[in-house]
Amino acid sequence: MRKIIILFLSLLIALPVYAMDGTALLQQVDRNLNPVSYESYRKLINVEPDGKKKEYTLFTVKKGTDKVASLFIAPASEKGRSTLRLGENMWFYIPNVGKPIRITSLQSVVGGVFNNADILQLDYATEYDVEKVEEKGAEVLLYLKAKTKSVAYDRLKIWADKGKLLPTKIECLTEANMLIKTLYFKDHKDFGAGIVRPSVIETDSPLYKGYKSVMIYAGIKKRTFKDEVFTMTYMPNLESLR
Amino acid sequence: MKQRFLMALFTIGSLVLPMMGSAEDSYTFDLSETEKKPYHFGGYGELKPVLLGLDQDAAFYKLRFYNDPQGQTLPEINGRLQLEGSYEQGVYRLYAKTNTDLKYSDYSKGSEHSVFYEAYASLKPSSSLKFDAGKKNMKWGKGYASNPVAFVDRPKDPDDPELALEGSIVATADYIKSFDGPLKTFSFTPVLLPVYDHVNDAFGNNNKLNLGGRFYFLFYDTDIDLLFLTGGSKPDRYGADFSRNITTNFEIHGEYALIRNFRKNVFESSGNVTLLEADARSYLFGLRHLTTFDLTTIIEYYRNGTGFSPAEMENFFALVDRAYNLHQTTGNATGLANAQTMAEGSYGRSSPMKNYLYARLSQKEPFGILYFTPALTWNMNLDDRSYTLTPELLYTGFTNWELRFRTAFLTGGKNTEFGEKQNDYRLEFRVGYYF
Repeated sequence: MRKIIILFLSLLIALPVYAMDGTALLQQVDRNLNPVSYESYRKLINVEPDGKKKEYTLFTVKKGTDKVASLFIAPASEKGRSTLRLGENMWFYIPNVGKPIRITSLQSVVGGVFNNADILQLDYATEYDVEKVEEKGAEVLLYLKAKTKSVAYDRLKIWADKGKLLPTKIECLTEANMLIKTLYFKDHKDFGAGIVRPSVIETDSPLYKGYKSVMIYAGIKKRTFKDEVFTMTYMPNLESLR
Repeated sequence: MKQRFLMALFTIGSLVLPMMGSAEDSYTFDLSETEKKPYHFGGYGELKPVLLGLDQDAAFYKLRFYNDPQGQTLPEINGRLQLEGSYEQGVYRLYAKTNTDLKYSDYSKGSEHSVFYEAYASLKPSSSLKFDAGKKNMKWGKGYASNPVAFVDRPKDPDDPELALEGSIVATADYIKSFDGPLKTFSFTPVLLPVYDHVNDAFGNNNKLNLGGRFYFLFYDTDIDLLFLTGGSKPDRYGADFSRNITTNFEIHGEYALIRNFRKNVFESSGNVTLLEADARSYLFGLRHLTTFDLTTIIEYYRNGTGFSPAEMENFFALVDRAYNLHQTTGNATGLANAQTMAEGSYGRSSPMKNYLYARLSQKEPFGILYFTPALTWNMNLDDRSYTLTPELLYTGFTNWELRFRTAFLTGGKNTEFGEKQNDYRLEFRVGYYF
């Protein structure tokens, strides 16, 4: 009996990740990436095979599990454009056009490898269920499946640092496990107030051979907002939150 | 005049051309780049050479060129400069946007037209409440090419629906409320629109204070608007619109407008003008679909309840023919002047007839060419089967630059809307720069 108990305890110590609840693990990854409600400044850079780059700077606000909005503050051709996501609803506002139009998660308002779902990312746990967790040396590998058909990617594979519980790589897959794109999380940075996370996300895709897109965070901090900020009517006014 | 125009174009060109094609070498991003200033200044400059292929038998050719016949083609050079600025202090904000259009052709020589597109002051005491007063666009409706419920705004050009438009002088507010449950958002936007001498005087009847409004609901993931306009400058009108994503890549939308006691002047076959008055119902149904390979399809059916029937349009075209022949034989241009007045008021506007089908296919980044979007637009008048077909190539790969080449082919028989336009085709190349 003593041997069985020792063996059981040894297994618990040796395989702590297996013992963790996959959903709780994913929620912890989400929280380590972003506070529940926050504002951030990001730059998106599309890099073409010949090295030519195009950059976009975004101010982003998020509240709770299903509300996120982004405002383009550069370059001049995009300034004032904004995107809003309320759960599965997404809109795009162009000042010239005036009224927000509905867009889809698979479209990309910036071109390149990042699509709207990447730019208006909700918590992973909001959109995905954890099917399986595996230990891979210093990392854990989470196999995720989309909760609904309206999610941009049917499946995700998240490699996360076992100690920090922050992602190092995410593969985005179709239902048939075809690779759509890979996200690489790099350059951990202390943003203050206890937020330490990767400041650079690179992505490439077999669908865009030779192209690369990069997302760089310069600032991220906790902030609360009224629900009314995340409405179609408010989209032309997002600049006033800065 | 020609010299001034060319100098203006040269100035715009020399300001913007040196900025083309710059690229940075490494990824850098410092928070100081995002620092917000209380003021903002920016703008847009555009150069657009155009070649018009003229149809010398068409009614609108005769109306425009009856006293100065042209050859087979008419080249034009167009320029546009838009400047915008804002100043924000606490809950207050001032915003202005100007537009200057420049045009030169051998026919019209040089012309320049400048106007404030928007200029208004805002007060935003909370995230739920905002007041605006001044010249502003309201942009109501869900349609892409046409908006029957855009009761306050100037009508869009279906050939270029994303162009900025001149606003109206209004006092307006936005009240927003969010909820949990099936109704996620409610907002109310009342609008006061005065029409007096030099204040919105092209909007409708003078010396009236008009009241409009929009109630917006996000209900069961569907955008719904209820809208109205009353006050006497135009006939009272009521409307509704909706937009909803059926799936992540498939959206549907619609608009409906009821216009009470709408009046329109129509030409009878005798050439007399008759005033008709009746309720008019306009509506639009549309969809937007995106394939996995990034082909966006927009299809819209537009019923213009205020439009002319084929017989009414034929009467107008016949009148132009008679007036033109009279001018050719006697030099009397009175009939053509009358027809021109009617054309400017209604017969010559965009979508003057009753039934239209609009389809636009745009393929984003084909063959992996980033920022390149070819598109094909087809706008058909279902009443007379005439149509325009517009292929275009758009490239936005240079930061802040937009290059667009497009050709429009106008096809239709005698007495049809697009068959009687002044052009058979139109080639244009637009170079735009944002700063």
